Amino acid sequence: MNGAEQVAIEARKQDIRSRWLLSAPALVIIFVAAIGPLFVMLLYSFMVKGDYGDVKPWEFSLDGWTSVFFQRDIFDDTLGLADAHISIIWRSIQLSFFTTILTLILGFPTAYFIATRPPHTREIWVFLVTIPFWTNLLIRTFAMQQVIRNEGLLNNALIWLGIIKSPLQIIYTDTANLLGMTYVYLPLMVLPLYASIEKLDFRLVEAGYDLYATRFQVLRKIVIPLVKPGIIAGSILVFIPSLGAYVIPRVLGGGKNMMLGNLIEMQFGAGRNWPLGAAMSITLMIIVMVALIVYVRNASRGGSGHV
Amino acid sequence: MTESRTTAAHGGAIGLHGIKKWFGNFQAVDNVTLDIRPNEFFTLLGPSGCGKTTLLRMIAGFEMPTEGQVLLDGSDISGLLPNQRPVNTVFQNYALFPHLTVAENIGFGLKMLGRPKAEITSVVNDMLKLVHLDGRGHNPVTQLSGGQQQRVALARALAPRPKVLLLDEPLSALDLKLRKSMQIELKRLQLETGITFVFVTHDQEEALTMSDRIAVMSAGTVRQVGSPWDIYDRPAERFVADFIGETNFLSADVVSVADNRARVRLSSGAEISASFPADVTPNGSVTVVVRPEHARAGAPTGTSALRGVVHDIVYLGTDTHVHVRLDDGTAFMVRQQNARSGHCGFSKGDTVGIDFSDDVAQILRD
Ligand SMILES: Nc1ncnc2c1ncn2[C@@H]1O[C@H](COP(=O)(O)OP(=O)(O)OP(=O)(O)O)[C@@H](O)[C@H]1O
Ligand SMILES: [Mg+2]
Repeated sequence: MNGAEQVAIEARKQDIRSRWLLSAPALVIIFVAAIGPLFVMLLYSFMVKGDYGDVKPWEFSLDGWTSVFFQRDIFDDTLGLADAHISIIWRSIQLSFFTTILTLILGFPTAYFIATRPPHTREIWVFLVTIPFWTNLLIRTFAMQQVIRNEGLLNNALIWLGIIKSPLQIIYTDTANLLGMTYVYLPLMVLPLYASIEKLDFRLVEAGYDLYATRFQVLRKIVIPLVKPGIIAGSILVFIPSLGAYVIPRVLGGGKNMMLGNLIEMQFGAGRNWPLGAAMSITLMIIVMVALIVYVRNASRGGSGHV
Repeated sequence: MTESRTTAAHGGAIGLHGIKKWFGNFQAVDNVTLDIRPNEFFTLLGPSGCGKTTLLRMIAGFEMPTEGQVLLDGSDISGLLPNQRPVNTVFQNYALFPHLTVAENIGFGLKMLGRPKAEITSVVNDMLKLVHLDGRGHNPVTQLSGGQQQRVALARALAPRPKVLLLDEPLSALDLKLRKSMQIELKRLQLETGITFVFVTHDQEEALTMSDRIAVMSAGTVRQVGSPWDIYDRPAERFVADFIGETNFLSADVVSVADNRARVRLSSGAEISASFPADVTPNGSVTVVVRPEHARAGAPTGTSALRGVVHDIVYLGTDTHVHVRLDDGTAFMVRQQNARSGHCGFSKGDTVGIDFSDDVAQILRD
C-alpha cells in the first residue's frame, strides 16, 4: 500500500465521520421524538397498572394487552370478549373508511375543478380550500355542532322550508361523526388529489376522446389510473387521523358514539388504566399499518391493470 | 394486409366551409374553405402560429368553429363530439397512455368501441406488423424510443380504421434520418390503408415530398392550394413563393397578354414570357419570380435576359449557388448543378449574363 492510497483511505474515513456528524441532529430528533415515546409506550403496555393511574414501575404483566379485546368476568373470573372495546374499534374502522370514501367522492370533483381552472385562478381556489386550517379544530367542530344540532341551522332551515316537521336527530349519532370528519378532513383529500390532477397531461384526455371513449371511460381508463398516487396519498392522509379522531366524536358523537381515540383517552383519564391505554394505542398503530399495507398493495397492483 | 386493402375505398372527404375561429378577441382562423378529397394525402403547410393545429382540432372536434361548417363525406359533423367522429389524430407529442402497454394503447380505440376481444387482438397484431413492432406488444410504451413511440401513435390512430387520419407535425420530434424514413413509412401506410391523411407541418420539403396536395397557410388564412408542383413552380403570391424554397423576385412591366401567357419587360429591357395565376389579369408593373435552378449564368451576350456582377459563390456539394448583383441593384441567385467536378467557371467580380427558358417565370398576384 503506497502513501497516496493511505491518504485516500484516511480521507474517506474522515468523510464518513463528518457525514455521521452532520446527520446527528436528524438522528437525535428521530430517536427522541419518534422512536423514544413509542418505546416508552410499548414498555408501559406490559406493566402493571398503578392504583391511581400511572404504572407500577418494572412490574410486568400481560393484563394491559389481554384487556384490549377480553374482559374478566367479575363473578367467576373467566375471560370473555370485551364487546364494548371491539365494537368501538370496529366502529372507528368503519367510520374512518366511510370518511375516506366520502372525502374522495367530494374531493375528486373539487380537485378536478380546481386543476382545470386557468393557472392564476387555481391558486385562489387552493387558497380557499386551506382557509379552514386557519381555525382551531375545536372551534370548527363546535361550528359544525351549531349547524347540525336539533335547533341548529340545518334543522331550522329544513323546518322553515317545510321539508320536515320535527328536527332530524343528527347530533350525537354516527352520522354526526361522519359529517364532522368529512368536513374537517376534506382538504387533506383535496390537496394531494389536486397536486396529481394538476400534473395530469390533459392531451391524454383528448387522446381518449379521440379514440371513442365516453366521459366515464376517460375517467375510469385514463384519469383515475394516472392520478392514483394522489388518490392513495389523500386516502392515507384522511384515514389515519380519522381512525385516531378524538375531538370530533367527543363533541359531535356524544358519549354513546365513542371512537378509538376517546377510548384511549379514557384509559389515561377516568379509567386509570395506563397499560390498557398504551396497548390500545399500539393496537391503533397496528391497524393503521395493516390497513396501509393492504391498501397500497392493492392500489399499486391495480395500477398496471389491463385495459 | 388484405384487410386494410378492403378499406382502400373508405377514405373520407373533408369539407371546410367558411371556417372562422376566434379565441376571445384573437382570430386564429379566418374564413378558410377547403375541400379535401377521399384517399388524399393533404398537407397544411405554414409558419408557426398560422392556425394549422386549430384547423386540425376543428376537424377532430376538439374545437368548435366560431363560424362555418365541417363536413365529412358531405354531411355536417360540426355538432358531433370527438368520440362520435370517425376521425383519429396522431398527436404531435404522441400522447400515448403511459400506464398501458404498446398493445393496450393500440387496442384502446377498438376497446372503447366495444369490439369483441378476438377482433381487437387480431387488429392489434396486424397493426404491430404494419408499423414493424411485432413482438413488442407487451412492452410498456415508456420504454420505447422516440421513433417507436411515433409508430405506436400511428398504429393506435389507424387501428379503429378512421375515415380520416389527422397528423399534427408527427415527425418534428425525430432526428433527420429517422424523419426521412418515417416520411416514406407514412406515405406507404397512407397508400396501403387508403385512409385520407391530413398532415400538418411547417417543413416545406416534407410537404413537397409527401403530399398529393398542399394548402399553404399564413396568419389564419389559406393562401394557395395545389399540387406540390403547383405550389413550387406556380406560386400565386409573394408569401407562397418566399415560404417554399428559395426564389428570385424581379420587377417587370406587362407588355401584352395572350392566352395564358403574358409578355413582360424586365428592368434590363429584355422581354420574357411569364405565366400567371388564373384569377389575375396582369397589367402595369408586376413582380415576377424565377427559381434559382431555372436560371443559367454564362458569359454576357446581347440576348441575355439579365446582366450582373458575381459577388459571391457558395459551393454546396451537389450544387453551387452563384449570387449576382443585377445592373439595377437587385440580388439574383443562380443554382447550378455540379454535374462535373471542378470549378464552376466564374469568379467574384465577373460580369455574367443570365438566361432562362420561357416557361419558368411566374407573375405574382399582388
Ligand atoms: N386555446 C387557445 N386560446 C387562445 N389562443 C389560441 C388557442 N389555441 C391557439 N391559439 C392561438 O391561435 C393561433 C394559431 O395557433 P395554432 O396552434 O393553430 O398554430 P399552428 O399553426 O399550429 O402553429 P405551430 O406550427 O407553432 O404549431 C396562435 O396565435 C395561438 O396563439
Ligand atoms: Mg401546431
